[in-house]
Amino acid sequence: MSISRRDFLKLSGVVVGSSFLPSLAVHASSNGQPGQQVAMLYDATLCVGCNACTNACRQWNNTTPETDQRGLYDSPPELSSDTWTMIQLYQEGDDYSFVKRQCMHCIDPACVSGCPVEALQKSKEGPVTYDANRCIGCRYCMYTCPFHIPRFEWDEVIPVVAKCTFCYDRIVEGKGPACAERCPTGALIWGKRDDLVSQAESRIESDKKRYINHIYGKDDAGGTSVLYLSGVEFNKLGLEDVGNEPIPDISEGTANIVLPGIVLGGPFLLGLIRLVSKRGGWEESWPV
Amino acid sequence: MASIAAPKKINLPANFYPLLALTLLAVGLSIYRLIVGLGPTTNMNDHYPWGIWITIDLFIIPIAGAAFTISLISFFFGYDDYRSVLRPAVVAGFLGYSIVGILLFLDIGRWNQFYNIFNPGILNLHSFLEEISLCVTLYIGILTLEVLPIFLENTRFKNSIKWIESGIYIIAGIGILLSTLHQSSLGSLFLLMSHKLHPLWYTPALPLLFFLQAGYTGLGATAIAITLISRSKNLPTNRKLMRRIGQAMGINLLLYICIRIGDWMGAGEIPMLLKPDAFGWIAWLELTIGILIPLSILFTKFIGHSQGPFWAGIFALMGTFLNRLMITWVGLAEPSSITYMPSWIEILITVGFIAGGYMVYEIVVQYYKLIPEKRSTN
Repeated sequence: MSISRRDFLKLSGVVVGSSFLPSLAVHASSNGQPGQQVAMLYDATLCVGCNACTNACRQWNNTTPETDQRGLYDSPPELSSDTWTMIQLYQEGDDYSFVKRQCMHCIDPACVSGCPVEALQKSKEGPVTYDANRCIGCRYCMYTCPFHIPRFEWDEVIPVVAKCTFCYDRIVEGKGPACAERCPTGALIWGKRDDLVSQAESRIESDKKRYINHIYGKDDAGGTSVLYLSGVEFNKLGLEDVGNEPIPDISEGTANIVLPGIVLGGPFLLGLIRLVSKRGGWEESWPV
Repeated sequence: MASIAAPKKINLPANFYPLLALTLLAVGLSIYRLIVGLGPTTNMNDHYPWGIWITIDLFIIPIAGAAFTISLISFFFGYDDYRSVLRPAVVAGFLGYSIVGILLFLDIGRWNQFYNIFNPGILNLHSFLEEISLCVTLYIGILTLEVLPIFLENTRFKNSIKWIESGIYIIAGIGILLSTLHQSSLGSLFLLMSHKLHPLWYTPALPLLFFLQAGYTGLGATAIAITLISRSKNLPTNRKLMRRIGQAMGINLLLYICIRIGDWMGAGEIPMLLKPDAFGWIAWLELTIGILIPLSILFTKFIGHSQGPFWAGIFALMGTFLNRLMITWVGLAEPSSITYMPSWIEILITVGFIAGGYMVYEIVVQYYKLIPEKRSTN
């Protein structure tokens, strides 16, 4: 019999919890109905790699185009503080697929859970937003993100963390994200998350040969606001298997037990130790 | 009690000026870093957003945990003779945390609004980073109260610090709670990185492991400090006390290794240890240096040797360093062509502030009474 990590956690949670206090569970980002929030659906089998979306992103968000090592205009090697979305190409033999990268806007985001000053927040509309006036630049979000999305302005004196905002400033005006509104082939659409999930399901249902039978982001990392359909395996597109549990679960579960446990139970425990301690004891029974 | 007042004759340690030069260089480079930003001064990048400063912070904090371990044992477990080593531990803790505070301030990008971590309107209590920031700040305050009597006991201010003496159980108790919180929370930081950190180092038990590690690393650092201070002042070592410190360290080490191996077994990661790849080898190295060698000193007759706990401490510290290096840097590496090696500015700033801490410690050891100077009755 092997114990899984989850069981081990539960077990240690019970042990720690019973020695202190019952858990005071509050979930950090449980606002709004995820199904009613805005989302995007990217269908890799429809994408022709025209980069209209990345252009629209630059226009709306005023980011500076980057050149690659050869000086080729606007061909960033990867996401950066100036490139919030990009199209990459996977190719192996005759097999190929484009894939769009940007923030996944998780339903339960690890970056939001870890951010010490609530600079990153899950808005009630769905997008994960960033407030530079709060950010202290600790870069914890860059490590906690399972998709390696947040980037840093390393060359600025007072840098900001940069990532796709889901064009939150457009969403609050009732418009869609710039990239999705520009896409000419319908590979990228936006709408209510519930609607997009059922649309993705019916696309898979209607053409089983065309699609891998998996909507990436429906349940991955506890669900994301950007959903993917593809004809090739997702891990080949750089969309790794991150499990279906929300990333913050273990961390927040521990925080809910350990923090009140130590703060409230600690003084009691210290007093008890002081009361029952007497000199001598274990040290005389040391083996050598 | 023999008392040593502040000296009339200035008699600086031999290495004072080299250490001072390193410190001043670090101060200069720090100002430069704050003016020009992180990009031109460090080699951190989007793939390695944390660098050597974080690794060093996470190594210094368990060493500085000496203050908390010794306070716990002497004030709450009732082993009063540990109080004779409380001072070297508390001063080391104070200097260690001060270095960490400086390095953290240099590390955060938007240092101009660092005070946001204290803004009750926006602080996120689910974030272990926030909790660490608050605890470390408060704990530096507690350590300041604990070291004040050392410097003021023979001055005209000695009456104005009497309240510290009378409230020491409460002050030490708060310090212990703050330490318990942040020492374990340093491990909890990585609970959000289950998908990044190498499985041989990631476990949901990280908070507990970090806590125990702080216990034995702090005790080891205390054993090292007492040995060095006694040597420099030509005092006899209190072997019985050293033995007790060694025993407390041994218990922590034993608990640590049981949980670590238990987790590897529970998660089915034992085969990873037997695979001949770099990570497997490093795990073995860490285990041997940091745990098995100290245990084989502390659970044999070597514990009674005058140098026994000292060497157990040295090896445990090396093991802790390797462990924190893996967790903050090597174990987080992605399969990518982009790598990280600290820039010379990052290294000089790190070395400089540690040199500064060492310099201050030397001076304090020389001019203030940190350990009893009378021959022990034991």
